[in-house]
Amino acid sequence: MNIELTPQQKALQQEVREYMKTVMTPELLEEMRNDDLKEGGGPEFRKQYARMGADGWIGLSWSKELGGKELSHMEQYIFTDEVIRSGFAYPFLTTEAVTPVIAANANDEVREEVVGGVKQGKVVIAIGYSEPSAGTDLAALKTRAVKDGDDWIINGQKMWTSLANYADYVWLAARTDPDASKKHKGLTMFLVPTHYEGFSVTPVHTLGVRTNATYYNDIRLPDKYRVGDVNGGWKLITGQLNIERLSLFTHGQVDSLYQETCEWAAATDAPGGGKVIEQAWVQHNLAKVKSGLEIVRLICWKQAWAMDQGPLDMADASMAKVYSSEFFVELYRMLLEVLGTAGTIGADSPGAVLRGRIEFRWRVGSILTFGGGTNEIQRDIIAMAGLWMPRTR
Amino acid sequence: MDFNISDELKSVQQLAQQIIGDFTEVEKLKAIEETQERFDRELWAALAEAGLLGLDIEESHGGMDLGFFSLATLCEEVGRCVAPVPVIPVLVSAAATLRRFGTDSQKDRYLPGIANGSALVGAALEEYGNDDPAAPAATARAIEGGYAVSGTKFAVTNAAAASRILLTARADDDLVMLLVDPKAAGVTLNPQVVTSGETRSELVMDKVQVPVEDVVATGKKAANAAIWALAATRTALAAYALGLCDKMMRMTGQYTSEREQFDRAIATFQAVSHRVADCYIDVECLRLVTQQAASLIDQGRDASDAVLMAKIWCGDVTHRVSQASQHCHGGTGVDRDYPLFRYCLAARQVELSAGSSASLTGELGARIAAQYLAADA
Repeated sequence: MNIELTPQQKALQQEVREYMKTVMTPELLEEMRNDDLKEGGGPEFRKQYARMGADGWIGLSWSKELGGKELSHMEQYIFTDEVIRSGFAYPFLTTEAVTPVIAANANDEVREEVVGGVKQGKVVIAIGYSEPSAGTDLAALKTRAVKDGDDWIINGQKMWTSLANYADYVWLAARTDPDASKKHKGLTMFLVPTHYEGFSVTPVHTLGVRTNATYYNDIRLPDKYRVGDVNGGWKLITGQLNIERLSLFTHGQVDSLYQETCEWAAATDAPGGGKVIEQAWVQHNLAKVKSGLEIVRLICWKQAWAMDQGPLDMADASMAKVYSSEFFVELYRMLLEVLGTAGTIGADSPGAVLRGRIEFRWRVGSILTFGGGTNEIQRDIIAMAGLWMPRTR
Repeated sequence: MDFNISDELKSVQQLAQQIIGDFTEVEKLKAIEETQERFDRELWAALAEAGLLGLDIEESHGGMDLGFFSLATLCEEVGRCVAPVPVIPVLVSAAATLRRFGTDSQKDRYLPGIANGSALVGAALEEYGNDDPAAPAATARAIEGGYAVSGTKFAVTNAAAASRILLTARADDDLVMLLVDPKAAGVTLNPQVVTSGETRSELVMDKVQVPVEDVVATGKKAANAAIWALAATRTALAAYALGLCDKMMRMTGQYTSEREQFDRAIATFQAVSHRVADCYIDVECLRLVTQQAASLIDQGRDASDAVLMAKIWCGDVTHRVSQASQHCHGGTGVDRDYPLFRYCLAARQVELSAGSSASLTGELGARIAAQYLAADA
């Protein structure tokens, strides 16, 4: 039992932290003030993403065969944590969740095109799972793919297709067997190039960032863009969920908010004299945040460490998701209370505290308790897999 | 980064589970609870026989010398069975502190007896309204050949059975850590029945003479010893609570899976299963912070923040898991013929001992403020 980064791991952390400072250029920060470009997609984002590819930072966890460095999950987590802390809209779902699945299951031509493109920082892939009537019950999705000669004809609608406004492909789950004995057995995965005729996007503006609805209208897709077996899509979807979560909840992004709030409170005068941080209620909130954050740090490290030892325990993976998503929301609230009414001032208005970052993070953070597998389902899993309790109904 | 438990420690854990499990059958616990002392001396002897009382005592004093982390693991196992043995005051607060801060002759005199189970050394770290042994109100006046100690400590475990009790007192502006003989002239022990059901003692000292050979440390060294003893005790309480809470949660998972209402197991109602799932999350959080604090102490590194956070989580988690377990058990949870009540009472005792979540959150907040104000100056 030794819960600390090794000197090599600390060196990697420092190296990524320094490198990311060169990625977050003033031009990029300016570009990200546009709400539609906060999650990437602008010319400066494209330039820096491609530079990360050229400098060899993309796909560090991939096999050597694919041009990766086979980093451990622990090292991959350190990389992820630092990249997210920097604020760069690095497309983790593309690089860590989807691309390895494509590499393992696509035909040679598409593998070369897509995996090679991601490696160079030229390709971004959006996720096309959810639909207007298929969210938590994902296997109920209705988007159809019908075989027509050597091609597939795709029709349907996807919801919450984040990044689709600039992505190069959508990683699409579609129904290929409407009569399957169980609904999850009739699904197949496809890559849909976003420049194909019949594909369209409309924006959905959320509390925080822009996401999209995407439409698939008689798209004629060559069979080479089918990934994996026909009707074998479900295991490709579920196989990468744990890896996805390891990039949703990281410590650095919230730890930096805590630290900045502490610095602000130590530097700002309180109305009755002294500094804001000298008030008991402020210290109480900061101590609560610190005690909760410590768990986030330990959970992340333990999950990454455990993934290097073997498959992740289901109950522990769900525990990490529920705890982190609910604590993040609490943390935003407790830090905003310290900032007071000024905490509500938006980034571009005069008087904004800490560049309005916490206010913005709260608006983004509320999706995490239901996104990525809603917490009710996660608690069901904990009761069943962790405590052998019977299935709820 | 390594969250692994070594094979050596795993065998210690299994051995402890086996021995403690054998001695904590319900009828046996009930018999011990009938006695005022509430101390299972047969279990204590069995733990000594297996070498488990000497986990954090050097081999030259009859111990196994496996370090503080292994001792915290023993505390967890004792908690899992609410076994009536004073592992925390004797092995953690007293022996582990003496091992690190005592004089050679004190270690020679007291540690072998603790390791082989023949002698007890207790500890009295708390005063009324003050759980910081580095800032006691009790006084020690220098006299020829030692000190005369006056003052009051309370909630002392197994005080009458101990050959010495480790405590601190103020000598003018200095701090002294000493071993007080509970049978010495000037000592009064007043029985105090506490929530856990134990009878503890109020220890009143009126000019009790402590010879120089029982003076553990003075000045800076005594302050370090008191701070260490408190940190180790808080971490051990968290480990003990981890055992308690893990067991309460599993009992509740099992009970709700068997108990039927409306023709179905109540665990199949999400309102019930989610309450138990929340206990699982809490217990895992407590496990993480406790392991971190114990491993830092084990390695002799700065654990001050980690220990505060462990005890804060300990207080919150014992409260939440205990109340959820009682609630989900319905009337069975409060019935003294069902084992859960014992855990709930012990949980409340641990929660309020050596600093509550509220007071320690205040202390942690003050430390954060001091850190950032210093950086800003």
